[in-house]
Formats: sequence, C-alpha cells, structure tokens
Amino acid sequence: MNELFGFLLKHSKWFVFTFFVVISCMLLFKGDPYRQHIYITSAGRLASTAYKSANNVTSYFNLHEINDDLNRRNAELQAEIVRLQEAIDVLKEEYCTDTLVVDSGVNHFDFIVAHVINNSIARPFNYITINKGARDGIRPELGVIDRNGVVGIVSNVGPTSARVISLLNPHFRLSCKIKRSDYFGSLVWDGENPGEALLEELPRHTVFEIGDTIVTSGYSAVFPAGLPVGVVMENTTDQSQNFFTLRIRLMADFTTLGNVQVVVDHKADELRALQAGEENDSKKNPFGN
Amino acid sequence: MTKFFIKYALAFLVMIPAQAIIFNHAVLFNVAVPLVFLSLIIYLPVTLGTNLSVTIGFVTGLMLDIFCDTPGVNALCCTVLSFARKPIFHLYVSTDDDLAGRSPSAHTMGAAAYMKFMLTMVLAYCAMVFTIESFQLFSPGLLVLRIAASTAYTFVMLYGLDILLMSRSDRH
Repeated sequence: MNELFGFLLKHSKWFVFTFFVVISCMLLFKGDPYRQHIYITSAGRLASTAYKSANNVTSYFNLHEINDDLNRRNAELQAEIVRLQEAIDVLKEEYCTDTLVVDSGVNHFDFIVAHVINNSIARPFNYITINKGARDGIRPELGVIDRNGVVGIVSNVGPTSARVISLLNPHFRLSCKIKRSDYFGSLVWDGENPGEALLEELPRHTVFEIGDTIVTSGYSAVFPAGLPVGVVMENTTDQSQNFFTLRIRLMADFTTLGNVQVVVDHKADELRALQAGEENDSKKNPFGN
Repeated sequence: MTKFFIKYALAFLVMIPAQAIIFNHAVLFNVAVPLVFLSLIIYLPVTLGTNLSVTIGFVTGLMLDIFCDTPGVNALCCTVLSFARKPIFHLYVSTDDDLAGRSPSAHTMGAAAYMKFMLTMVLAYCAMVFTIESFQLFSPGLLVLRIAASTAYTFVMLYGLDILLMSRSDRH
C-alpha cells in the first residue's frame, strides 16, 4: 500500500495535469457542436488512417485466400463464357435451320482450379505438375488452361496431384484455328523458344494476317472451341511445302505459371466412345460400304 | 511564500479582467493580440511545485475563459503551458538551485536566457490557442500569421511590463 501511495505521490504531477486537461477538453468540446464535430471527424480520420495502415500490412497475409477466390471466380466465369458461347452457337443453328431445339446439353464444361507445383520449360519435353488429383475429379486427357490461354493436357493422375503434358512438349499437338477465318491446323512446339510454337498443316489457301489470334478449334473432347492460344508472328512456310506453317507467340506465359484451370468436359466419354465405335467400324470394313 | 500568494492574487485580480476588457480589444492589424495575462504563468516562481503551478495555470485559464466566453480554450492552454514551464525553463538554465522562491527574470536568469524563455513560453501558448481557435475556420496562412504576430506583440508588451516592474523595484 505504501508503495502504491509512493507511486501515486511520485507521479502526482501527471495525474493532476491529466485531470485538468480532461476537464479543459470537456469544457472545450461540450459547449461547441462545431468543435465537437471537428474533433469527432478528426478522431475518425485518425482512426481510419491507422486502420488503413494496419490493413495495408495485414492485407498481404490474406492475398493467398483472395487469389484463390479470384481463381475460383475466374473458373466460374470461364465456364459461363463457354456455356454462353455454346448457347449462342445452338441458337444460331436454330435460327438457321429453324428446326433445332435448345437443349440442356450446353452445360457440359466445368473448370477446376489448381496450383502449379512443378514446371519445366528448358527441357526438350516439358511437363507440369499440379496439386489436384483424382480425389478432386481430375482424370487423364483433361485440358489445362490458365488465365491467358491453353497450357497443356493431363497425362497421369495421382490421388492428390497430376502430371500435365505442357504445350512446350513436342509430344502434344493441339488442334487450333485462326479466329478470324476459321482455318484450322495443328499447333506444336518446336523446342526453341518457350514463348513460341508452330501452327502447322494449314491449307495453302488460308487467309491470315500477322497479329491474328489463334484459338482452339473445339475438334476434340479436351478443349472447348475458342480458347485463346496465341497470336500469329510470322509465316515460316517453305515455298515448296503444300501447307502453311505459322510461328505463333503463345499467350500463356509458361515462365510464370501459378494457377491453372483444368477443363472437365462431361461429354468427353460419350464423344470418345462414339469415335472409338467409328474406328472399330472402319477397321472391320476399311473400304466403307 | 504567503507574501507571494497575496501579490499573485492581486495580480490575478487585476490581470484577468484587464486581459478580457482591455488587451483582448487592443488588436493590431486584425491579427495580433497581446496576451499579457501570460505574465501570471511566466512569473510563477521557478521552484514552485508542478502540481501547484498546473492548478494555478488551470484556474487562470478557466477564469479568462469565463470572462471571454471561450470555455476550455484558455484553461487547456494554460494547463499545458504551466506544466511545460519547468522543462522550457531548463532549456535555457541548467539548474534552479539558486532560484529558490524567485520568479524568472532578466536579473535572476540573465537577460538573454530570460528573453528566450519568455519568447518560447509566449510562442507555445500562441501556437496552442490559435490552433484550437482555427478549428472553426482553418486557414494555414492566417494561422501562422496570427501566431507570429501575437507572439511578437505579446513579447514586446511583456518585456515592457518587465522593464516597468524592474525599474519600480529598483526605485524601491
């Protein structure tokens, strides 16, 4: 108790000073609504500045979750775009034929967000590993895209991870078309530059210009039509060849791959089964009839 | 000490009404106000306890607020100024051992130190009081002008008062 009194006595000047300051402030702000308003506004501004500063620091800690949310949202929007595109296509067909009915089969694409946990770009045959596997619904032969364009195709699937054949792998050929003219060819990496690839087997009469956008053709059960792949850089065709070969600047930046989306086509099995049936038929009766 | 308090009470009774009735209206160029009542705080004995000097400061300010209808403004500024009086004093004089019971003056502190002490006190008070008043209509240029002009005006008035009091005491 003596120590407490000693302490109070020792610092009494601060208590007295604070007491009088508080009384003065009460007198100052109580009688004048304008000053009261100024005080409250200033205090609010001070507090908001402090909160903003704190938020500037703490928001960095939440970026991972925000990024995940954005990717999820991006995947939903991507799916929505594809659905709408297909709905437009169906409506166009209906308009042209006036006989087709819009069915519910347009909602057959889903996108699963995944993180790249391993990636190579400097090898002759490059692969990517993602952190989603069979437990998340990943299967072999699903397409993989990022926010800019096509990335690759799933080859092997584990329970919680999957291996993706990168577009920077000569084993992977992708059916693409020139967006403006719809002429299609086959995109393959030539092993030279991780930012470029070749679009081969384009017919000689193909109409194109430098800067034209290359998109997926949709002639497979892996990628929906219209996904961006790259931009035409130059024509590398030899005059003696029967097909055009164009050098394409890829839209996906493989050097900074972080988050990707796996494209799930719910009709893929059906399409493959149909195509397998066609192949069996042609083996049985190679000459048609 | 009793003699001091009697003298101080008399000075208080004269100075506060004088400030409210006369000096507050002796405004120069619409910006400079002579705050002569600050002498009540400046002339407090150096060795006076902080608790007592803060209380005196608060009461001085409060009385002026009552006269001037500015509740809290002068009370707050006088409280802060009387609390900061000793630290300001020690900015210019390292020890107050020889000043027991004596008020700061050119005679006790030395002319230069006393003038600096008085100028700092006046400037601190003017800065506080005009900043609080500027809450009502904030104009940075005018605020600085009011602080500077009032500080100079008050300093001159206080210095004149000091000379006057000194010459009287010399005669006596």
